[in-house]
Amino acid sequence: MNLISGIDVTASALNAQKTRLDIVAQNIANAQTTRGPDGLPYQRKIVSFETELIRQTGTSADSKPTQSVRVSSIQADPTPGTRVYDPQHPDASKDGYVTMPNVNMAYEMVDLMTASRAYEANLSVVKNARQMALKALDIGK
Amino acid sequence: MVDPIFQSDNTYQLARKMLDASVLRQNAIASNIANAETPGYRRVEVNTDFATQLRAKLESGTKDFAADTADIKPSLVEDRHSRSVRPDGNNVEIEREMLDMNKNTVEYDYLTEVVSRNLKQLKLAITGRA
Amino acid sequence: MALISSIGAYQNPLLSGLQPTRTDSPTGPVKLPGISTGGTTGAQPGGFGKMVENLISSVDSKQNEAASLTKDVLLGKNDQLHQSMIAMQEAGTAFQLMVEVRNKVVESYQELMRMQA
Repeated sequence: MNLISGIDVTASALNAQKTRLDIVAQNIANAQTTRGPDGLPYQRKIVSFETELIRQTGTSADSKPTQSVRVSSIQADPTPGTRVYDPQHPDASKDGYVTMPNVNMAYEMVDLMTASRAYEANLSVVKNARQMALKALDIGK
Repeated sequence: MVDPIFQSDNTYQLARKMLDASVLRQNAIASNIANAETPGYRRVEVNTDFATQLRAKLESGTKDFAADTADIKPSLVEDRHSRSVRPDGNNVEIEREMLDMNKNTVEYDYLTEVVSRNLKQLKLAITGRA
Repeated sequence: MALISSIGAYQNPLLSGLQPTRTDSPTGPVKLPGISTGGTTGAQPGGFGKMVENLISSVDSKQNEAASLTKDVLLGKNDQLHQSMIAMQEAGTAFQLMVEVRNKVVESYQELMRMQA
């Protein structure tokens, strides 16, 4: 029963934004990790979205179907991290340089805010759609 | 035999038809907001000639508005005209979508109120009680 | 307001259907068309009964329409919740109309019976 209009699309968006927030949190948490399980410094992860067509019921045949969103891939950012001169560091190379993760705090914070704002916008869409459905139930009463 | 009671009032039938468009617009806004970050996505909206077709039918003075407009249905079309604000071709502006959503909610409430009042009035006329 | 005036349009056929028709003599029994069993010789044979039949069948078709819309919503084929609600309300209103007509007919019949006694 699809009583709240557009709920599938919004649910997919909430999922996708949540995944994005998780990845941003992971990036921020690992901003100083110079040695991961593979011995290399942490590489920043990037989330990319893509659309997925879902069937739209109740409209004419040539209507464009609505598109839900999903995470298409979580890829590592290949940009090399900055090299810091710190011979005391346990992970320093022979010439005293440590390669830090390529996580830029400014980018991550902006990403965090954008993802949060998108999440909240989708939440208000759901709230609105639910209110409309409840109003429809009161017709004639 | 009972149908003329409902068919003779064009306002009521028009409101009924416009409710379909309002629900579809809510779906369009949901899709736009959901895909606000998706690369290459273009925003969708309800086709504008749905309203013009309805108006034309109304002005031509039909007796049975519901039957005459049974094949006029709203549909979603891609908005190719608005400029893209991002390099990846996505032309969704969240603020505009939120404003549209607020406007649409009020329109939907108004239309359900119009329909509701007509039905309640009819019931009052038939039974003599609210 | 147009809805109410269309109900007013109903009053005329209903009233004319209730006109008693005279049969043999002025003092003979008055037959209401359609209420007596077949073979009536009134001016409107089966007039009122036929009308009630039409009313019942159109109320029935309204109920069916509402039921099919509701079924589509329940099965997920449709998300037109508002259309289903409106159709159910219309069917309910039509049914109420039929019930009120029945009440009035029964009331009139009882009134008539009281007059004869």
